[in-house]
Amino acid sequence: MTDTVEIAVTINGRGHRLVVSPRRVLADVLREDLQLLGCKIGCDQAVCGACTVLVDDVPVTACTTFAFELDGKAVTTIEGLAEGGRLDPVQRAFLEHGAFQCGFCTPGMILSVKALLARHPEPDEALIRQWLNANICRCTGYQMIVEAVRAAARTSAS
Amino acid sequence: MDGSASPFRAPVLALDGPDKVTGAARYTFDVILPGMLHAKVLRSPHPHARVRSIKTSRAEALPGVAAVVTGADAARLPDPYYGVAIRDQPVVAIDKVRYVGDMIAAVAASDEETAYRALSLINVQYEKLQAVTTIDEALAEGAPLLFETPVAGEPVKLGEGLISLKEPRPNVLCEFGYTHSDADAVLAQSDHVFEDRFHFSRINHFHLEPHVNIARVTGEQIELWSCNQDPFVLRSDIARIFGRPANNIRVHASYVGGGFGGKSFCKMEPLVVLLAMKAGRPVRLCLSLDESLLTLTKHAGKLVLKTGVTKDGRLTARKSEIQLDGGAYSDASALTVVKAGYRITGPYSWDAIATRAYAVRTNTVPAGSFRGFGGTQASFASESQIDMIARRLGIDPYDFRRRNLLGLGEPFRPGDSGIDSDLEGGLDEVVKRLGYRQRVRSSAQGVKARGMGLGIGIKDGGGTGNHAQALVKLLPSGRAIVSAAAVEIGQGATTTLSRIAAETLNLPLDWVRYGAIDTDSTPLDNGTHASCGTVVTGIAVMRAATDTREQVLAFAAERLGCKADELTLDNWTVRRGNYVHPLEPMIAEHFGGAGFEFIGRGMVKVPNDPKAPLTAAALFWMPSWIGAEVEVDRETGKVQVLHLVVGADSGRSVNALACRGQIEGAALQAFGQSLFEELRYNGGEPANATPLTYRVPLAGDLPERYESFVLEQGGPGPFGTKGIGESGMLGVAAAIANAIEDAVGVRVTQIPFSPERVLAAIEAAR
Repeated sequence: MTDTVEIAVTINGRGHRLVVSPRRVLADVLREDLQLLGCKIGCDQAVCGACTVLVDDVPVTACTTFAFELDGKAVTTIEGLAEGGRLDPVQRAFLEHGAFQCGFCTPGMILSVKALLARHPEPDEALIRQWLNANICRCTGYQMIVEAVRAAARTSAS
Repeated sequence: MDGSASPFRAPVLALDGPDKVTGAARYTFDVILPGMLHAKVLRSPHPHARVRSIKTSRAEALPGVAAVVTGADAARLPDPYYGVAIRDQPVVAIDKVRYVGDMIAAVAASDEETAYRALSLINVQYEKLQAVTTIDEALAEGAPLLFETPVAGEPVKLGEGLISLKEPRPNVLCEFGYTHSDADAVLAQSDHVFEDRFHFSRINHFHLEPHVNIARVTGEQIELWSCNQDPFVLRSDIARIFGRPANNIRVHASYVGGGFGGKSFCKMEPLVVLLAMKAGRPVRLCLSLDESLLTLTKHAGKLVLKTGVTKDGRLTARKSEIQLDGGAYSDASALTVVKAGYRITGPYSWDAIATRAYAVRTNTVPAGSFRGFGGTQASFASESQIDMIARRLGIDPYDFRRRNLLGLGEPFRPGDSGIDSDLEGGLDEVVKRLGYRQRVRSSAQGVKARGMGLGIGIKDGGGTGNHAQALVKLLPSGRAIVSAAAVEIGQGATTTLSRIAAETLNLPLDWVRYGAIDTDSTPLDNGTHASCGTVVTGIAVMRAATDTREQVLAFAAERLGCKADELTLDNWTVRRGNYVHPLEPMIAEHFGGAGFEFIGRGMVKVPNDPKAPLTAAALFWMPSWIGAEVEVDRETGKVQVLHLVVGADSGRSVNALACRGQIEGAALQAFGQSLFEELRYNGGEPANATPLTYRVPLAGDLPERYESFVLEQGGPGPFGTKGIGESGMLGVAAAIANAIEDAVGVRVTQIPFSPERVLAAIEAAR
């Protein structure tokens, strides 16, 4: 399997032409080729959600997404959220509400929340909890994350 | 004491927060060295086997493979074994494998894929041995032995009159004994004596950043980038194992992606060093989460408590036998056994105590440090039994606790320090928030029944006789670097320790940075353990900051021709009466060049005390107060936690958001363990050691109402602080069990309280 695939992909708003092996996963391409180290790999099998990134605004686990699947698509990683050093409202809410501890799940968690709020700008508690089921946090006990999501929703709505 | 005068009322944002929410935070996981190889580990498929032969030639011949390491390499090391106090775990299996997942060989190759392929080319011939995978099997007459001869190390040192034994009986790693007065005699005179047994489950830490280490060996120097919580403990172990002076060992720590004890003490680090030595290139070993599940667990155990009580509900004596499943190797079992045994009395007053606790060797994953360190096992059994006794005597469990709780200042045990939290006050807060007094009895007929339960946890905090050192460097601009080796594992050490320095130096918090940890330059710390960071490392940091401040004031006094005590330091100026003198120009004028750094030193050693049971009085006490309301389905046995209230005492919150996060995070770990989380075994095989099948709590598992509170009752740390990292883990399981009995009148004494187990208890009572 020495074949490679050339793909055109937009990452954090910037176009890239990448030559990748068909076996490579998005997480490795982001981390190794593009130095986007905010994409963390926890379980490496689409269980923990730490590697979550957005592909065309849909949250996916980068550890189990093949790079070739991204041809013609747009990827957003945690590095793509803050614009000109200004934190995104979700990032700011996480910071202000102490919604992280070790921080290893945080990039994936924040991107999941971005996707949630894009679809449901005013999620209720049940929906927030349900949505966050996709991301394991072993540190916080989740409640402070739920509160950050509510705060981010309020900021985004106002 | 209520903290209202605290300068820390305004919540502070975490200094590591901006890095962590933007993806800029760098963990050991992210470290890349030039020319770095990648390692993978071959693990035993057998729970117990003798290694007949290992053939590695095909693996070594695979292009891209740089080194293969086996027990033959380990056996040539000056001291190939590690473990806390008792050292029985080889760097890699030497003659036997002792659990499924035991490390038998390792490969360093150009990439992980090649390393994996090389593992499949290693041929190991095993002679299978009979395995013991439960405590009972291991203790049975004639059971096969994990170790045929005594291993290296010493029993844990304890105070006068206590028992501490190393390998006292076959398959017993260590034993702890504590007695006070004559428990048998007091029990014989008690109106009631109750004996109950409890079973505690095995769980994994499940930190999301797997164990990851990078080693580089350059000449005589060994360098490690490690996710370990204890850089200096690791330095000592590497120095001993490889027979090199410790000043040639250099350990770097970065942000750690969760630890909870799982990354404490030496584990696979020497294996990575050995690979790097053999390969002559830097080597990175990043375990998979599956492998982390096979690296360390919390101790499962059996606890038998025999407790006496007078007819009017006063506790008299308790005899306990605690068996902890230590798994295949020592790790931190020797210390965990001591703490479990010591904490089994709970926060109550007793006339007599007799405790035996021991760790049993089994052919399962080694057990070691886990947040609460023996305290969760003890508090589950103790707080369950307290509740059971109250209900048997027809006394409300709240009243029964209140009647027996230790008061402020009363020593936890004779010779130890006094209780420094208002235990009753915390319990009252739980009762109020839970609505315990207003609870309505469920009908005995309906399918669903509700109940409420309480629990109090307590543990000694800050480690035993602990110590730490710190430096504070003040740059010419007044910006500061705090240098200490409490590792940021998410607990907020960065912010808390920086704030302690900032307050002492009267500087804005964002002028202070918590320095990178490098054992070459960072002062020594005993490790990120035992909720010690804020108090123990914190005192060292405060003293270092005070030393720095005094140096600055002495310098300024000399420049201004006055006495230092006429001056105060304020935002990098010195004030003398109504005059304000900025320091930066004063330093520039005097020193010129690149200016000058004021470097202050601080240290702390908690005094040893031979009269204290554990050789030093506890620095502070960490209580937790728990209340749970549950709904139990009598037809399915399913337990739903409707409301969980968790409180702890921070002494004073320097970092309020972090304090809350610590309590809620710890309590949710205990909540998961209470209801479903467990690393199970089928015989010698782990049944669910994969991320998909090992279930940890998700957001959707949260109790319907989940609330926490922090009391600020003062403590021995800077500005009246206490440690709080482990408190929330204690007492949760018991509170839920107590609520289940309150709801349906049956007692579950084994966690997790799965529907099957609860239903079985309900049906047995019918």
